[in-house]
Amino acid sequence: MSVLARPAFTPGWSKAFGTNGALAAGSAILALFVLAALFAPLIAPYDPIAQDAAARLAAPSLLHPFGTDNFGRDILSRVIWGTRIDLQMAFFGVVFPFLIGTVVGTVAGFFGGVVDALLMRLIDIILAFPFLVLMLSIIAILGPGLSSFYIAMALVGWVSYARLVRAQILVLKTQDYAVAATSLGFGRLRIMFRHLLPNAIAGSVVFVMSDAVLVLLNGAAISYLGLGVQPPVAEWGVMVAEGQPFVTTAWWVTLFPGLSIVALAFGFSLLGDGLGQRLGVAE
Amino acid sequence: MSSTLLSVRDLSVSVRSEAAPRLLLDRVSLDLGRGEILGLVGESGSGKSLFCRSLVRLLPSRALVIDSGTVLLEGQDLLQASEADMLAVRGGRIGMIFQNPTSHLDPVMRVGDQIAEGIRFHQGLGKAAAREAALEILAQVGFPDPKRQYLSYPHEFSGGMRQRAMIGVALSCQPDILIADEPTTALDVTIQAQILRLLTEIRDRTRLSIILITHDLGVVAQTCDRIAVMRGGRVVEENTKRALLAAPGHAYTKALIASHPSIPARLSPVTTTEAKAASPLRPLLEVDDLHVSFPSGAGLFSGQPRVFNALNGVSLRVMPGETVGIVGESGSGKSTLARAILGLNPIASGHVAFEGSNLATQRNATLAKLRTDAAMVFQDPYNALNPRMTVGETLAEVLRVQNKVQPAQIKARIDELLDLVGLDRDFATRKPRSMSGGQCQRAGIARALAVDPKLIIADECVAALDVTIQAQIVDLFRDLQRKMNLTLLFIAHDLAIVRNLCERVVVMHHGKIVEEGRSADVFAMPSHAYTAALISAIPDIDPDRPLHALPLRRADSLRGMSSLSLQPST
Repeated sequence: MSVLARPAFTPGWSKAFGTNGALAAGSAILALFVLAALFAPLIAPYDPIAQDAAARLAAPSLLHPFGTDNFGRDILSRVIWGTRIDLQMAFFGVVFPFLIGTVVGTVAGFFGGVVDALLMRLIDIILAFPFLVLMLSIIAILGPGLSSFYIAMALVGWVSYARLVRAQILVLKTQDYAVAATSLGFGRLRIMFRHLLPNAIAGSVVFVMSDAVLVLLNGAAISYLGLGVQPPVAEWGVMVAEGQPFVTTAWWVTLFPGLSIVALAFGFSLLGDGLGQRLGVAE
Repeated sequence: MSSTLLSVRDLSVSVRSEAAPRLLLDRVSLDLGRGEILGLVGESGSGKSLFCRSLVRLLPSRALVIDSGTVLLEGQDLLQASEADMLAVRGGRIGMIFQNPTSHLDPVMRVGDQIAEGIRFHQGLGKAAAREAALEILAQVGFPDPKRQYLSYPHEFSGGMRQRAMIGVALSCQPDILIADEPTTALDVTIQAQILRLLTEIRDRTRLSIILITHDLGVVAQTCDRIAVMRGGRVVEENTKRALLAAPGHAYTKALIASHPSIPARLSPVTTTEAKAASPLRPLLEVDDLHVSFPSGAGLFSGQPRVFNALNGVSLRVMPGETVGIVGESGSGKSTLARAILGLNPIASGHVAFEGSNLATQRNATLAKLRTDAAMVFQDPYNALNPRMTVGETLAEVLRVQNKVQPAQIKARIDELLDLVGLDRDFATRKPRSMSGGQCQRAGIARALAVDPKLIIADECVAALDVTIQAQIVDLFRDLQRKMNLTLLFIAHDLAIVRNLCERVVVMHHGKIVEEGRSADVFAMPSHAYTAALISAIPDIDPDRPLHALPLRRADSLRGMSSLSLQPST
């Protein structure tokens, strides 16, 4: 025969990244932020909430590389400590919608019929409300704070995942290997979660990355409105909000946390592109 | 041959990858005379299609580069020609048709307009004149009512009619050369015969030169003047048809000819005399007046959902240890029957009984029995295996779920299964995408065997494979059948394979069984007109046993009204 079998796939660092620059760069950026979050107490030169009345709104200098805010708190330290909160927000803000959405999407796509119709109408209802308005009202009911934010994200954010996965499952369940699984007497749960879901999930995994960016921006917006992270805890969105009155006089108060949001978002989106390439979604 | 129209010398194409560049076409030299049909034969990956695409400089990927060589079309070197000149050559002088007409016709453009477009572009005719010319071409390629079919869309045609339409599009620019890339592979045998007949007729009438790419030696034997055999990017042998078929020089050509199914099998179909002596009289599988229907969409306002009857009263008995072939064209209900037997399709009425328990009345008990005693092998080997799981994981899962071997013995059983289907044991760690089609199909058969089944239903399981691999898989089935006393229901549209493998054959047409009997008898003396038509349409490798293509109209009336609708479907 003329078609020679390709060698078996070997995982490993070089193989994982290969020529995939986006994946490597995205992972590197994300790793940098994770390290900063883990070692915040060691890296940060100051206590993030320690106030210094003598050094209010000090411009960037050797003493305070990113300057200080209106309470004299060191912005670099606050950005570093803020990494902890923001990464946490990106993670929890995505992981619950992802889990709920994939399960709902799998069930809807697999069973079809009435189950599918009911779940899809529920999604339509949620989508009928403007996203931020719905988030704000849920948080308003639960009271401000990060946990309210996560709950609101979980309640609202799963719909996109459900629709993504459902569309995939609808296609995959007619494939021969799904029919084969049925004919081999496999149970429905096994077919759904062992045979269909792993093949349907690539698109959602990529979407997680771009969704993380949106969650990050949402979280910042919610905090900016005073419904998320409460002062004096350092969080980039809150910091941008607090610096707003001084944008013209002390630009550094908003610039550095803002840049951090952009950098992390950039990392996530690179990672998403890279994963897409890697999992064969982009092509 | 009178005059050489196209002359290819030392054409080399390689792929640029990060590693060393790999040669895909290695100094291929071929000539094509005016009015000649050249057959290009070889397996998938041998470079047949790439060769033809290189002629018009339409390489499928940017990584592919033409390294050297000349392609002289009446003295003009196409490899040196400017891109603007190539526009006039593509379509204008060299037309192409492909295996899958559906994806090469514009679905939202009327068929006639697609033909007229080429005429207007290449010949500069006006709208009305182009329309006249297009109507003429439609008549030429065998459309019975060109005025009407001019206005049809591709989806209103059957596969054979679409292929005719695509030939029409290619002919619209009056090319000198037509490249036909596996034009009949996706078609049923009777339609294939019609298309091949059409191509030779056009050649005779217009002195068109044709390069016919195919993997089926029978097709070239019936149509071509000269044959070139390709393997691994090289032309290993080239000669006039008769000389090459009578005295193949290269070992690979010999293997190809030997594996052609129209060559009478050295091995007779599996006989089960021993099995019959030992077997109880009760049939393993009994199908009685089975009806299966699918909803085919309600009319927008009519409310009443219409149904399509896929099976219209099929009755069948299969004894233990028997090998039964089910043949018929696409849409005849073969696959529906297979799935209905396994309880994968709902049954409208009738009975399916497996080992005496009835699927209609004791559904759950029978299903449980079917799941543990029957298994299926599918057509597309890549699609039939979960791409995320290794072969070992796939097999282990079946063994675990079916609970037929002790967990400790699963590993040993996997090795045993891989041995049975002729795969190396280290294939257990491979995933489907790192395997070839034939290897995947073996893994699929291993999965079916993991069930330790009494009945295996193989649904077109060799249709997607190269001929030499087909022969291997058929041999594997023959072996397994003999070793394990399997009962095999072998579904295929390729009658020759069924004739070689199966002792009994069932011919299906429009959801009904039209003929049934011992293979030898049915093939020697078909009693039903449809069976006779099917058999005579098989392209024989012997050029002196000409292809029996039914005239279009007769074939249509034979096929009835559903699948080959010449009128826009209602």
